Amino acid sequence: MATTTATITLSSSDIADNALSISNTATLYTAGTDTGITETTGLARKKFANASEFILLDQGLAAGVVADVTADKSAKVYIKNMNDRGDGTKYVAVLINSIEIGRLYGGDWMFFPWGAASGKDVDIDASDATETTLEYCVFYE
Amino acid sequence: MATTTATITLSSSDLLTDNLSLSATMNLYKHGTTATGLDELNYHRALIPTGTNFTLIQESAALNTNGSNYVYIINKNTDVTDYVVISIRSEVIGRLYAGDWMFVPYSDATTATTGVDDPSGDDSDIEIQANTHDCIIEYAMFHDGETLLTASDS
Repeated sequence: MATTTATITLSSSDIADNALSISNTATLYTAGTDTGITETTGLARKKFANASEFILLDQGLAAGVVADVTADKSAKVYIKNMNDRGDGTKYVAVLINSIEIGRLYGGDWMFFPWGAASGKDVDIDASDATETTLEYCVFYE
Repeated sequence: MATTTATITLSSSDLLTDNLSLSATMNLYKHGTTATGLDELNYHRALIPTGTNFTLIQESAALNTNGSNYVYIINKNTDVTDYVVISIRSEVIGRLYAGDWMFVPYSDATTATTGVDDPSGDDSDIEIQANTHDCIIEYAMFHDGETLLTASDS
């Protein structure tokens, strides 16, 4: 088994009266065990320039990079919008089965568990056709 | 405005042939701004009883309008078999096992039908269901305003 950790640090000195400092580390285990996840897509980088929704992670695609990611397990997804923030109006929406989770503006990242049930692809829908670069990675069992 | 940063570090010395070491930091800004930080925050700790799907974060018109919100959730249980299922508008995102956390943007963007528990008609609540055992979770939302509901006895 492998040992892979994901650490988050959230901090602010002025969002509240007292400083905010949250830090936690998760070890990426297979579902319901303390055995480390042993598979990953590796870090991928993709450029695109269209404003139409497309599939980033195709659940169930035979021979696809995430073909082995199936429901009821413990896959984790990391996605980062590598663009500059610009004027703060351009973003890529990230969707599960065409339901929007949220918007990654330039420089934003997200990290979430992926249930990956049948048909539950991870999709991207950019706010316009500006060329955008994403980096992403999936850890799975 | 406030300055809030979120940093992720992914690391492993043995998942790949070479070390994995990835780090990214972002500032939490308002939509349509170049550098104006979000200045509102909710931070909770809750016991989620097993077996029922609950609304964890209630959608609202203001969240939908602003679009630039961020949600952090962590499962604080320690039994590795305990997990919570996180959903958005009844669409399962995934499972957070004991010790797992997630950090996602939240735009509350899906249009549906207005209802008693869906005052804006957006119906993109973030939902949670504990499985195996009750789960202690902590969650935070950084946002640019929520719609306040008028008290029913006002």
